[in-house]
Amino acid sequence: MASLPDPVVRLVAALGRLPGIGPRSAERLALHLVQADPGLVRDLSAVMNFARERIKTCSVCGSLTEIEPCDLCVSTSRDPTLLCVVERALDVISLEKSGTFKGRYHVLGGKLSPLNGVGPEDLRIGELEKRAAASEVREVILALGTDVEGDATGHYLASRLVGCNVRVTRIAHGLPAGSGLEFADELTLSRALEGRREL
Amino acid sequence: MHLARLRLRDFRNYAKLDAEFVPGFHLFLGRNAQGKTNILEAIYLLATLRSFRGVGGGQMIRHGAKGYFAGGTVVGAGEHEIKAYWSPHERQLTLNARPVRKLSEYLGTLRAVVFCTEDLQLVKGAPRIRRRFLDLLLAQTRPGYLSLLLRYTQALRSRNALLKQSVADDAQLDGFTRGLVELGNELMSARRELVPRISPLARLAHRRVSQDSEDLKLEYRPCIKADFLLELRQSRGRERVLRTTLLGPHRDDVELMLDDRAAAQFTSEGQKRTIALALKMAQAEYLSGIHGTPPVLLIDDVMGELDAQRRAGLVPLLQQAHRAGGQVFMTCTEENWPRELGREIIRWEVNSGSLTAVAPGAVAPIPKMPGQGAQGE
Repeated sequence: MASLPDPVVRLVAALGRLPGIGPRSAERLALHLVQADPGLVRDLSAVMNFARERIKTCSVCGSLTEIEPCDLCVSTSRDPTLLCVVERALDVISLEKSGTFKGRYHVLGGKLSPLNGVGPEDLRIGELEKRAAASEVREVILALGTDVEGDATGHYLASRLVGCNVRVTRIAHGLPAGSGLEFADELTLSRALEGRREL
Repeated sequence: MHLARLRLRDFRNYAKLDAEFVPGFHLFLGRNAQGKTNILEAIYLLATLRSFRGVGGGQMIRHGAKGYFAGGTVVGAGEHEIKAYWSPHERQLTLNARPVRKLSEYLGTLRAVVFCTEDLQLVKGAPRIRRRFLDLLLAQTRPGYLSLLLRYTQALRSRNALLKQSVADDAQLDGFTRGLVELGNELMSARRELVPRISPLARLAHRRVSQDSEDLKLEYRPCIKADFLLELRQSRGRERVLRTTLLGPHRDDVELMLDDRAAAQFTSEGQKRTIALALKMAQAEYLSGIHGTPPVLLIDDVMGELDAQRRAGLVPLLQQAHRAGGQVFMTCTEENWPRELGREIIRWEVNSGSLTAVAPGAVAPIPKMPGQGAQGE
């Protein structure tokens, strides 16, 4: 049986390192690319290079940006007393889409995960402490995932921020808006009940 | 509920099996190593997605085949079609032709209780086995328990990973301790509620089977005496040395007492067997009580180990399941099938990977087998 030419094998290996791409998808993409119009492949590699070169993580908040510091960090229309902590840069975009949060952000770059060897030193926690202590920040809002590791990261951050003279809050657990109770799982429902509010 | 249809492909010694089962009492007869238990294993697999023999998927594939398929139709509240395919490279589980995304949504489609020789470990074995008994029962009766248990296990594993690190980080450990304690307290309160409900059922079942005056009692023995957080804090020094979480519901036990004496130490082999049987009967009755219908009972070769008196004690449970429209599947060798159940039984002959209906049941019609005629006696 004839095997694939070496350049294709290397391309498959390179594509296979991307997230969500398994060996079969990598092979399909590679075979598509090597048979595609050379112009298309050139354009693709050009935009990939361009995007990679232009995008940095903001040295203040850690979100993705072209300019340093990012728009969100320099904007004067945002409330500097509120700081919202999220796990990933993508979470900033989700929160921005909601349009309700007018403060500033801090991207941790992950969550504590002893089983995957992720400790506090791998996250942007030192930077968070500095921001919380130095500037005019009055409240740190933790908007982390609700799994075991997200919860533990929240508790850990709260203990690290004790000396910073800020209020530390966590976003509510609850039901997704616009859906009935029947679609919620038991844990969500019990959390939602615990977090009930007076009307 | 009952299993109306079972389909197997390349499962253990069955290249192909298509069988239909009516509600009632089914007896699989055959010599040893013909595949009687394999049918029970397949039914249990559809109920719990595990083998009660404690083996992985690979061992259930027929020799030389790539993967196995097990499917069934469950008739209870509505009709449900289950299809499970397993190979080392691919696994698929569908319920009513839709892929199953969450385990907690699937479990409960078919409920089964298995009686097998390994049950003896419930009495003799390590606390782990009795915890699993509680957990399985709670997962089948208490919504949310399974995800609680999974979250607790993750918190525990994370915490243990932290304790194994060379440099101690108390702040991080505290972060995971919070979750561990919260989830652990919920687990303990669920178990604390369950045990007193199971205990009287087990006592009655034990009375019926043993016909002795001794009283069986189950007592929950939580590892945590009063305050999980406080006790964890006090054990921090020892945890550092041993590098693992020493306290918590993962160290719980259920003590079995026979007339206020620990059953594990002060009973004979035969008494232990009776206690194990009583626990399983209690499990079946508890499930019937909660869900309103009896679970499917799978009885693997247990009869041979029981004397006539204990068999007579078990029979009412089987008849009860039968009368409530439930289903019992039992394996036996020709010598020791329970003739006391005589006329109500639907007999099947198992012969090296094939299943044949033997004699017409007195109550239920003969199940039809594609391509195989039922033989008269």
